[in-house]
Amino acid sequence: MAVVNYEPLGTADVTTTKTLLHESIPLTGTILSGTYGTLLSGDNIKNYTHGMFQSVYDYPYLSSSANHIFDLTVGFNASSPLSGTSGVTMESKKINMYNQFSQVLLGFTGSGNTIRDFELDTTLDQTGSMKESLFINFSRLLYKDEIKKGTVSLVLGTGSWADPFALTKTLSDASASATAGTANTMGGDYGVLYSAADDTARGVVFYQAGLIVLSTSSWDSIPLFNSGSDYGYTITDSLVSASISGSCDALRHRIKNISFNNTTEINSTIYFCRIPSNKYNYSSNPTYISSSQIVVKNVASDTPVSYVTTIGLYNGNNQLLATAKLSEPLRKDPNNEITLRVRLDY
Amino acid sequence: MSFKKFGPNDVILNTMEAHPSCEFFIFDSKIYYNNTPERSGAFSSNVLNVPPGYISLYEYNVDKLDGSNNFIYPFTRKGGDRVTFKNISTKEFDYLYGMGDIITSSYPMSASITREFMSGAAGGMTPYTVPRPDEIGGTVTFSAPKYRHFYALKNRLNYYGVKSEHYKVSSSYGDKSLQPINLISIPSIFYGSQIKPGTLSLKWYFTGSLIGELQDTKQNGELIEVSGSNAGAIAGVALYDEGFILLTGSWSLNSETIRLISGSTATVTPQWLYFGAGANDNVSQATVGNTTFASASFDLSFKGATKTQVMTMFAHAHRGEANYSSNPTFLNYGQEQLYLTSSQVYEENSSRTIANTVSSSYTDYSASFQRQVYISRVAIYDESKNLIGIATLSDPVLKKEDEDLAFKIRLDL
Repeated sequence: MAVVNYEPLGTADVTTTKTLLHESIPLTGTILSGTYGTLLSGDNIKNYTHGMFQSVYDYPYLSSSANHIFDLTVGFNASSPLSGTSGVTMESKKINMYNQFSQVLLGFTGSGNTIRDFELDTTLDQTGSMKESLFINFSRLLYKDEIKKGTVSLVLGTGSWADPFALTKTLSDASASATAGTANTMGGDYGVLYSAADDTARGVVFYQAGLIVLSTSSWDSIPLFNSGSDYGYTITDSLVSASISGSCDALRHRIKNISFNNTTEINSTIYFCRIPSNKYNYSSNPTYISSSQIVVKNVASDTPVSYVTTIGLYNGNNQLLATAKLSEPLRKDPNNEITLRVRLDY
Repeated sequence: MSFKKFGPNDVILNTMEAHPSCEFFIFDSKIYYNNTPERSGAFSSNVLNVPPGYISLYEYNVDKLDGSNNFIYPFTRKGGDRVTFKNISTKEFDYLYGMGDIITSSYPMSASITREFMSGAAGGMTPYTVPRPDEIGGTVTFSAPKYRHFYALKNRLNYYGVKSEHYKVSSSYGDKSLQPINLISIPSIFYGSQIKPGTLSLKWYFTGSLIGELQDTKQNGELIEVSGSNAGAIAGVALYDEGFILLTGSWSLNSETIRLISGSTATVTPQWLYFGAGANDNVSQATVGNTTFASASFDLSFKGATKTQVMTMFAHAHRGEANYSSNPTFLNYGQEQLYLTSSQVYEENSSRTIANTVSSSYTDYSASFQRQVYISRVAIYDESKNLIGIATLSDPVLKKEDEDLAFKIRLDL
């Protein structure tokens, strides 16, 4: 492409913009429990020898088609009444999991730099603490740059073990929005998940970290949160006596639906390329002239005319960096001026 | 933590060219891509929710069923930035949506090869009439290309005429406008920047037996029959950069007859014109009205060419450098960190000892202490000392005090 002259871009000709693209992410409980295997196990559930968390895939994880959708784990604070109880299974790991999430998301507090507790409010004053928690840690594939505030909804089964969804609780962060209803911590913003039926806080969601922290209160009144052929645990018993993966199995058994919208930020630079009336009315394209006559002109006295098809963006040394193509050629003659808006996405 | 600056020879930028293999097998109106079988899931008859032979962009919505466990879909809001999805036209964007309206799209997005059989004359025109304005009355007749894709490719075909006369629309080998053409379109997601010249192979099978093969052995786009009834003849051309194959070879590859034309019960002999019948071209047992269509199968294989810019960085840990760790376990457990602290003095314990991590060959015996560290990651910083990347080693590497190490870090750009 031959260029006759260049148009310098001034400060008023370049601007940046940010566009938000969202995706609606529905996760139905059927894939979390029972679809790819028998109840509580499944080919899409991956447990590790370290036993500290459990990974959930949307398809048997040995398949190349499978996508990792989230990890599950449980834990409690060292100051929880469960800590130090006799016979706690995997106690240090449960405390470590809680501490790790807390340190990364909430940081430390007080002169002793103690680990903060997760709270069921946005005050960060260490009241309304969740000392025992269940964690749902979403994959970046699903939540992308962040979860969109005010779009999270969870339907949790609070029925019997045999029929967990006979009773349900719907948790949502409807009180959170882009401008209000959230708290900012070192792990990003978080909002509170309220149970719609009784308007009670049951957990929190960290938007930029893509993490849901559930309190045990949703299942406090259920005698069998976790059950098997030779055991039956309340939620507290499960956190004490069951392994981390055992409690995660029970949680999966009680998730009916999760849905949220994710957000991808697209940062762009916009270049306004202004074509003055008296310029770019001629082309150096070889096809512009045939037999010493301009092809697009019939009469010699007609005004010059050209068709703009491409814009080249050059650096200060006149080196071509990028080209922008028009979907269709634009007619340019001395009677018109054109401003072409070139958007460069990153 | 100290920083170490990359030297002039420590950062290299180059281009890696890769050649991904692609194979399409076409049989009974189905396409199989790289021998990937059709897999049914618990909900969907095809776990990727795209037909076999298709690539699913992002591979979202695995084993989902619309209406049962709903699909993930993208959406955005109409705003002054005029950002929208590609399938929304400017006119739709302007008139169909108000400011702030949600504009949705859908997944999965997919791509596969397509065959278009241009029967009769590929350059034929189709007349159509439009009414004149009321004040004039009557109608006016225009004509439009019958096969627009052929018209769109004419310039490109003539452009490549310098490589081979066979490309030219009109040449001593005939006029493509007057011939039937078998056009196979390959989306660039399969091959990258171009189909690698010399790697194309088209095989025609009849009842499982190979009856003809085309290859671009000259690497100039000519598709030459390397086996078959007319070996050495040129049956078509390939546009490597654009991903098109145009076949015009109309000789019989054997004397059998078969129905291969959609909507027609006419029987034809196997020819290159019918290569790929069933590849998204509405040719099926139903549209030809006969089960013998399944006697034909086709194999199309090639290599693509992708170019990836690669930055290679050499991070050096010379002898006498990088031999201390700030990891708490580097020091022996249980030592006082502070020697003295008061309102005037803060003094750390200077006699803390380093844990001896030297491996001993004997049980219950500690080997002689040596200063050594295990390097587990290398961090990359910009000029302003902002952390911009971390390279983590698969296994920590032992670095002794008197050893030089260099880590080669590769970053695909």
